[in-house]
Order: sequence, then structure tokens, then C-alpha cells
Amino acid sequence: MATQHELAHSAPDAATSETLLGVEGLSVAYGDQQVVSDVSFTLGRGESLALIGESGSGKTTIARTVLRLLPKGARILGGRMDFDGREIAGISDRAFRPLRGAQLGFVPQDPGNALNPVRTIGVQAHETARLLKLKSRGEERERILETFAEVGLPDPKRIYRSHPHELSGGMLQRVLIGLAVMPRPSLIVADEPTSGLDVTIQKVVLDLFEELKRSLGLSLLFITHDLAIAAERADHLVVLKDGVVQEHGPSKSVFANPKSDYTRELQADVPAINPNRYRSIHLARNTAERNALGSQIEVRSVSKTFGDVVAVDDVSFAVQRGKTHALVGESGSGKTTTVRLLLGLEHADGGEIVVGDGVVNGHSRSQWRSVRRHLQLVYQNPFTSLDPTWRVGRIVREPLDRFGVGDKDERRERVAEAIRSVGLPEEMIARKPANLSGGQRQRVAIARALVMRPEVLVLDEPTSALDVTVQAEIIDLLFRLQSELGLTYLFVSHDLSLVRQLADTVSVLHDGRVVEQGTVEKIFANPENPYTQALLQAIPAVPRVDQSRRVLDPAPV
Amino acid sequence: MSFAAVPQPAGPRLLSRRRLRVLALPPTVLLSFVIVAIVLLWALFPSLFTSHSPVTAVPTQKFLPISSAHWFGTDYLGRDNFTRVIYGTRSSVLNAFVAVGIGLLVGGVFGLLAGFLGGITDALIGRGVDVLLAIPGFLLAVVLVVSLGFNTINVAIATGITMTAIFARIMRAETLKIRQSVFVESSYLQGGSPLFVLFRHILPNAYRSVLALAVLQLGNAIIIIAAIAFLGYGSPPPASDWGLLISNGANYQQIAPWLIYCPAAVVVITVLSINRISRWLRNTN
Amino acid sequence: MSAISALGSETADPASGSHPPDDRIGVRSRRRYLLYALRRVIQAIFVIILAYVITFFVISVLGSNPIQTTLSSPQAGLDPSSIKKLEAYYGVNGSILHQLWLGLSRFLRGQLGTSLQYHLPVSKLILTALPYTLKLGGMALLISLLFACLLAYGSQRFPLAAGRSFIRSIPSFFLSVPNFVIGLLLIELFSFHFHTFDVLNPDNLVGTICAAFALAIPISAPLSEVLIANLDTEGAQEYALVARSRGLTEAKLFLRHLVKPSSVPAITMFAIIIGELMGGALITEEVFGRTGVGTVMYQAVTTGDAPVLQAVVALAAAVFVVANLIADLVAPLVDPRIELVGPRAAGGLVRGLGRGFQAGNLLGSR
Repeated sequence: MATQHELAHSAPDAATSETLLGVEGLSVAYGDQQVVSDVSFTLGRGESLALIGESGSGKTTIARTVLRLLPKGARILGGRMDFDGREIAGISDRAFRPLRGAQLGFVPQDPGNALNPVRTIGVQAHETARLLKLKSRGEERERILETFAEVGLPDPKRIYRSHPHELSGGMLQRVLIGLAVMPRPSLIVADEPTSGLDVTIQKVVLDLFEELKRSLGLSLLFITHDLAIAAERADHLVVLKDGVVQEHGPSKSVFANPKSDYTRELQADVPAINPNRYRSIHLARNTAERNALGSQIEVRSVSKTFGDVVAVDDVSFAVQRGKTHALVGESGSGKTTTVRLLLGLEHADGGEIVVGDGVVNGHSRSQWRSVRRHLQLVYQNPFTSLDPTWRVGRIVREPLDRFGVGDKDERRERVAEAIRSVGLPEEMIARKPANLSGGQRQRVAIARALVMRPEVLVLDEPTSALDVTVQAEIIDLLFRLQSELGLTYLFVSHDLSLVRQLADTVSVLHDGRVVEQGTVEKIFANPENPYTQALLQAIPAVPRVDQSRRVLDPAPV
Repeated sequence: MSFAAVPQPAGPRLLSRRRLRVLALPPTVLLSFVIVAIVLLWALFPSLFTSHSPVTAVPTQKFLPISSAHWFGTDYLGRDNFTRVIYGTRSSVLNAFVAVGIGLLVGGVFGLLAGFLGGITDALIGRGVDVLLAIPGFLLAVVLVVSLGFNTINVAIATGITMTAIFARIMRAETLKIRQSVFVESSYLQGGSPLFVLFRHILPNAYRSVLALAVLQLGNAIIIIAAIAFLGYGSPPPASDWGLLISNGANYQQIAPWLIYCPAAVVVITVLSINRISRWLRNTN
Repeated sequence: MSAISALGSETADPASGSHPPDDRIGVRSRRRYLLYALRRVIQAIFVIILAYVITFFVISVLGSNPIQTTLSSPQAGLDPSSIKKLEAYYGVNGSILHQLWLGLSRFLRGQLGTSLQYHLPVSKLILTALPYTLKLGGMALLISLLFACLLAYGSQRFPLAAGRSFIRSIPSFFLSVPNFVIGLLLIELFSFHFHTFDVLNPDNLVGTICAAFALAIPISAPLSEVLIANLDTEGAQEYALVARSRGLTEAKLFLRHLVKPSSVPAITMFAIIIGELMGGALITEEVFGRTGVGTVMYQAVTTGDAPVLQAVVALAAAVFVVANLIADLVAPLVDPRIELVGPRAAGGLVRGLGRGFQAGNLLGSR
């Protein structure tokens, strides 16, 4: 089996690159807990390398270590780092500081928090511009405006004068990229630079990185949890799990021929890479008699305005019984508002909503209460949707208690049944949410939604806060439950690849309107609307893997 | 609205860390608890700690300095100062509990209502809180005591009234914050009624941060009560409120300074301990 | 670079907040600010009036006719016709509401009544005593500010971790010592031992400084804690990390980036401190035997001089309200994120409209 070094240097196009950054045997600990163990990789000039991993993989720690920006309490246990021929792990902070910014740039994860909110962008840009040692402030300003134009920002002068909170996420990220690139460093470390951005904006930002890499000869060290993006954009990949390197090599070969189980698992779990994971189930569902069951939910010309903001504008769609319908859109598309209208959390300004047999949009609070026995919601964030002071058993039991279903023993039995059906052990019933992982919490939320045996489950981005392997488990679980209980799902998401895996039919929303809808096959094979086409183009183009999964058996935790 | 991947705490690891935190108190916190316990015992069972009388004059033993027989010396009437401090603990400390109790209950209820009901209720209560906060707390307490009568219970009530405003503010802020949480909305979807949500979801989540504040205000109350007693507005002699003791002692500052500094030290150490506990509560939240 | 410009603009990005056209930004926000300022001023007046009413209620209603009692007590030494005149002036024989109206309307016009003890206008009493209190208060304010800044800076930049820890525990210690104890200690040291001032005549410089210290120490504590807490959170923010990644030194980071956002809560605290100063002045002036508004009030309590009590407390409230008003007007100028809503922000958080937008009043529920 090839060693990491051999893998790194055996790629055919390694001949032109000299090593810019070499990391060998790096180990880092926070306090007494080791988070990075014996990690090694090399990055050549003008190349890009992605550190891939889920939470706890140590990827962010490694990035911070390269920049020598570890928080207090963290320390390097061992190993060496060489940058441009110099050893940088052991030198003092004072010796290292001249490199920061000038040779080593940084683009952070959350552009909204990356700039001082009370100072203008221009003032902060000058701090970076000072590294260029230009003659005057006027010259600095010119260079700053040039940089803003370089990264494709419209109206650089306005941006210069603005405060961070006046710009959108995508624009801020481009500002940050511009600032990082301005001193012409040789290496840029980008920590999840596109998570939190809309999918179309992600593409813009990633294209920008590529263009800068090409024209300026930059090396890029990407940190990401998104295997698909890494596979599409990076020359080399390092796959990390729990601080240990699982696999390392050029993207193409890691992809074509994964050597570690973990990489193979990731490939199977990432929706963009394995779109046909549930194909057999979809095919089985698509029979004539299933299709004749009719619609469970119908939304007709629904609108909602908040003040002078039109959130939802004449939206119509139908959800077939027993199937999964997806609402897809970026932020501001109105998908969340639509779902809230469906659940009675907001009042529609116009249109009709039909659930089961009756019209619901004019309902009073008590009328909504009876509708909600059959229509439950699973929220996006499992860390905030469970009361931290309640125990799991009581959380799952809450709907039974509030709706007065059965007596004490019956309720206890139903709770136990619900917990089992989501694949959690019965001991969970006595625990509090604080001690559970994100995936476990979301299972609890699903159990709670199911304990009333509803007909429809609305899922609002239920996995976007979870790691990709956990996401796959939850989606497996959802499929199993759907076939066991005959549920109808309304699934809201911004992740098109996930929708392709999961849904039967889909509505694409943009700016509060439905721009296109239909079956998943049709939309993905033949999108007619330019916005839909742009969304599809933003999905990373990666070699696909075909790994159908058996999910109908109860999944172990 | 997309959401970045959130790091997940691994189950077993976090559980053991939490367990450890509760059991292993930092030494200063442990000491603080011991001190507060002693002070509470002084307040509840003063005769257990001393055999002298706090009121009977012994003229032959005036102004004796600190000694093994008289740990805090004797005062201008020959009374053992340590005894006087112990007997004064009840009105100095227990009344602080009364004050904080009043503030917490009255302020807490108003804050909860304001945060939960919003609208007119919130506006009205908010105005009331603004006004109450506008009058400097100490001055308000003084005029309240002047009107109600000079004894320590009234001092406690007055102090409590001035504290309602800050408790109302904090409770309102917490209630507002929790009211917006996802699990509260989720409860409505599960058939919960507003009253149920208020008592079973909002209150249990809100009281924790208010508790840390309450402990802090306890120390504050002790100081305010002592200050009012120092001015002579508390119970008249032969009462031995800590503040009154210090004030009496000030008359003899040059001949018997221990009459000031011993009770003062007791005040400082008690309040320091309470503050330490409050900080620890805040940190472990 | 054609490739990059072809990457498209985001001016139509629905994820962005509002994009007001350039030329209108200045005018629109100036107008909003003026409206906000007007609203706040009206609220302030309202609060002052209500504060007067509550003070009146406590002194005259709860206290069961203090004016009458004091006037008729032999210690006042007044003859029956003077008593009748004063009673008529204060409307003692009328209803409570009438008395309140008399007092309030006079207060708003600046007439504070007559002292029952000195037979002088209350305003004269206060004005004579005010300069001393202002001197004391001003010095105390400066000292507490100095302390707070030193402690805040030390908590972040002191070289030893143990030292930083110690510095952080100092405000808590300051809060545990009553100001009269500090006062007595300072008197012991500087008057009895070092003879730098005389308790019978404490208005010289050293005496004033000692009194200011006693007043300042407990008051500096909450200010220090707020500053330290804010520096801590700001320092941990992502943008501090990003600024460091640009090669900024710790010192420059502190000065340029952390001070400004941390200062808003401090500005708010400032107003609260002024309130605390007024309360503390009462005791401090007594302990040091100084002249000042505090002593005036102390005298008024002893003699049951209700008009003086009423005036002093109501004025103190007015001062506090004005201080808060100034803080509320200055804060948005310092931190542009602050929403220009009144202290009772309706909602406060605009619910997520599916647009991931949050407009929050950063001063919390003020």
C-alpha cells in the first residue's frame, strides 16, 4: 500500500510544483485532549489542497495551526511545518508574524463576523494595505479599490464606505477574499469559505478562487466538510477523521480508487456523489396504483407579505399521498414562509391551503389544533428545537399529553415505540438533550413528530445542521419510516443534490414564486427555467458513484 | 437559509465532564459556602456561639481591646462585641433574604408578564420599571424607610422594592429570548396552550440566570441594609445591626478602632463569599 | 480581468439586506435619528414626571402627612400664622391629588418649595450645597473611570495569567466593601495618622480626594466588569482572529478593534453609575462631615423636612434620566448596528422572514 509521501509525489503533474507547505507528523491538543494526531501532507506552489472531514476531524485546528492562530489552551505537541523552506512550527510568534497576511492569507468561514462591525470596510482594508508598504494612504486606497474590482464587486467606492452589516454574505466574502489576496501571498488558507452562502453564490466564490489561483499562481489550502466541492475544485485531497489522516492523494485517484473505508463511506453518503442511493425505492413507489392515491396537501395561489416585503407570491403546488415533495430554494425564496403558512404559524394573505379533506387557511387556533394532530414539523436545528430542561421521554410524550391521547401507560408505551422506531435505545428516555449528539437529537425530534401518528410530516432542512454521515443515517431512517407508516413528506431544502436523492416531486422557488415544478427526473434532466438551470449548474460536477443502499431494515445507532 | 455544520458534542465525553464540574468545587467556592453557612447559623441560633449577652451593660469592662476572652473587644458599655455581631446577624442577613425575596418575586412576576404578554402590558410595566430605576436606589430606600418607620424590617422591604426593577428587567429579557426559541414554538405545534408554555417551558429556562443575579443581589442587599443602619435609620439601639455597630464604633474611632473594623470585616467577608458563589453560579451556567 | 467580471454581480441578491441608493443613505438615517431622539426626549420627560409622582406618594402618602406633623411639632418653632401660611402653600388641607398637582407643577417650573427647617427656599439650599457635591462626584467619576480602564486593560494584557486572574477578581472585592468602611479607613489613615486633613474641616484637596476614593471604589466595580466582559467577548469574535491573520499585533488589535464595540455597554453603564454616585454621596458626605446635597438630605430626614426630601430625590431622578438620555443618544452614533428603536423595542427581533435577517437592539432590553 502506497505511503502518503509516495501518493503525494507520484501524481503526474507534481513535476512542476515545488513544495510550498510541508506538514509532517503534526499533533495538536486542546488542554489534555488530543485533536490532531500525526498528520502529514504537502502542498505545492500553485496547487490547491482540500482538508476534508466532518466535525471533530481536526481540519479547522490544522488550518489554525498553519497560521499559528491557535486559541489559548491549545498547543502543538509535535511535528514540523515547513513553509517556503522555513520551519514555522517552532519559531516564536514574533518571528512568525511578518509572514501572516503577507505570505499566508486567511479567508474565514463566516463573513458576517469576520470584520469589525463598528468600523467601515475601507478602514479595515487599510490595515491589510499597510502590508504592501505603499507610499501614501491615497495609494493604499487606490490599490484597495482595484482589489475590490478584481474580485468582481460592483461599485467599489460604496463598499469602501460601508459597514459590514450593510453588505450581503456573498459580497462580504468577496471582500475578505480580496483583502486576503491583496498583499499577494503565496498561500491562502480558506476555512469553509462557502458554507453559509447560497448555492449560486458558492459557485461564484469558488470560481473566483480558481481564477485567482490561476492568474496569481496562488496555492490554496481549503478546509471543507463538503466532499463534492473538494472533489470538484481541489487538486489534492486529505481525508481526516478524528484528527487522523484516513487518505491522502490527488483528487482524481482518491475518487476513482478510495483506499480507506471512511472515504468510501463518505462517497456513499454525499448526495452529490451518490444520487441514486434510493433509486430502487423510488421506482417501487412509482406504480400506477400508488400514483392514483391523490393529493394529501394542496396549496393554491397562496401569498404572504410582511410589511413591504413580499415573502410568498401566488405559490401553488400539490403533495401526493405517500410521496415526498420537496420545496427547493435559496435564502429569501419563501420556502420557509410557505411551510409556516401550511402549519398555521402564519396567516396567509390570499389563496387556499387544503390538508386532507378540508381547507385550513382560515382556521382559528382551536381548529388548527385538531389539524396539527395529523401534520407535524421537524425543525432544522436539533440544538434549539428541544427544551434543554426536559428529559427525552417527556419531550417525545408532549404531544400525547397536550392532546390528551390515551392514559399514562398507553402514553409510555407509545413513547417507547417511537424511540425504538427512530433507532434509539430505550435508555435515552431518561436523558436530557444536552448529552446527546446532533444526530441523536434530530432522531428525538422525529420521534416526537411521529408519536401522534400523523399523516404528513413537514421537514424543514432537517439535516443541514448535521454532518454528512449523520445526514445519510437520518435520511435512511426517514425512508424506512415512510414506507413502514405510509407517511407523506414535505421536505424543504436548499441542497439540490439531496433533493434529487430524496424527493419524488419538487417545486423550485425563487423570490417568493414557484419558477418550475414537476417530477425530480424531469426537472433534473431537463430544466426549463434559467434559475433552475443556474441552480443545477451550481451542483459540483463530480464523478458519480452508484451505491444503492438497503435501508428498509431498522438501522443500528 | 443554509446552516453551517455545527460541531457535535460526543455523548459520553461530555457527560463525564459535566459530572466532574459539579463535584469538584474550586477551593474558594467551598470556603465561601462554609462561611455563608456559619453566618446563617449565627443568624438562626446565636446563643449557640456565645454565652455573653448582647445587651447587658458591664461598665467595668469598657473598651477592652481584642483578646482571647473578647475576640472583637468590648464596646462603650462593656458589652462583648463579638456577641453583638452575632446577635446582629439576624437582622443584617436574614433581612437581606427578605429584600431579595421581595425583589425576585415581585420583579420576577412583572418581568415574566411583560416579556410574555408583550404589547400594552409590556409597555406599561416597562414604564414602571424605568421610573423605579430612575430614582437612585439608595435614596428611594431611605425615603421609604423614613415613611414606613425606622426598623430593620422596613429597611428590608424598602431595599426589596428598589430591587424589583432590576429583577423585572432581567426576567423580561430572558422571557423574551426564550419565547422566541424554536422549542417554544414547537410546543404550540404539539398542542400546548400559552399558559402551559409559560409555566413549563419559559419559566424553567428563565430562572437559571435570574438565580445567579439573585445571589449577587443578596450581597448587595446586605451592604445596603448595613448602610441604612449606619445612618441610623434601622432599628434603634440596643439593636446590633452590623451597620449600626460600625456607626457606633465610629464615634470612638480613635480610642477603640476595633469597634469599627471587626464588624466591618465580618460584612466584607460575608459579602465576598456571597459574591464568589454568585460568580461560580454564573460560570457554571 | 474579463473572467472575473463575468462572474456576475450580486446587486440583485435576495439574500442581502436593504440596498439603499448611495445618495439617500445620509439623509434617511439622519431623519430616522432625529425622530428617534425626539421620541426619547418625550419619554424622558414622562419618566421624570412619573418619578416625581412616585416620590410624592412615598413621602407624603406613605409617610402620613409629614408636612403637617413637622409644622405643628414644637421643634419647628413656628407661630400659628406662619404655620397656617405654609399649610396653605402646600395645600395640606386639600386632597392628596391637589397637593400632588401643586408640587408637580411647581417642580416643573423650577420652584422647589420652602424648607420647613431653615425657612429658606429649597432651591437655594440645594444650589448652595451643589458645588461641593459636584466636586466630589466629578472626582469620584474620574477615579472610577480610571480604575475601570486600568482593570480592563490589565485583565487582557497583564503578562502573567495568575495576575490577570487576580485583576479579574478585584471588582468583586470592591463590591464587597461598603463605601463607609472605606471612608472610615481613609480617615484613620490620612487624618488621624498622617494629619493631611482635619475631620472638622474636610474640604481641602486631600480630604476631597479621600472622599472621592471612598465613593468611587464600589462604583467602579460594575463598570470594570462590563468592560472586561465585553473585551472578552469581542476578543473572541471571529473578526479579531481575522485581524490577527493580517499580521496585527495584540496591542494594535486592542486599541483599534476591541475598544469601540466594547464601549457601547460602557456608555450605558455610565448613566447608571451617575445614579449610583448620587446614592453614595449621601453616606460619603456624612462620614467625612462634608457639606453637600447629601448632608442636606440627611438633615431633612432628621427633621422631617418633607419638601427638601421631595425635591432632592426628584431632582436626583431627573439627573439620572437625563444621563440615560444622553447615553441613548450617543450610543447609536458609536455603534451603527444599533437599531433606532425606543427602550421598549416592539418585538426587538424581526422574525426570520425566510431571509435570515435579524435586527436586534444590541443594548438588550433597556
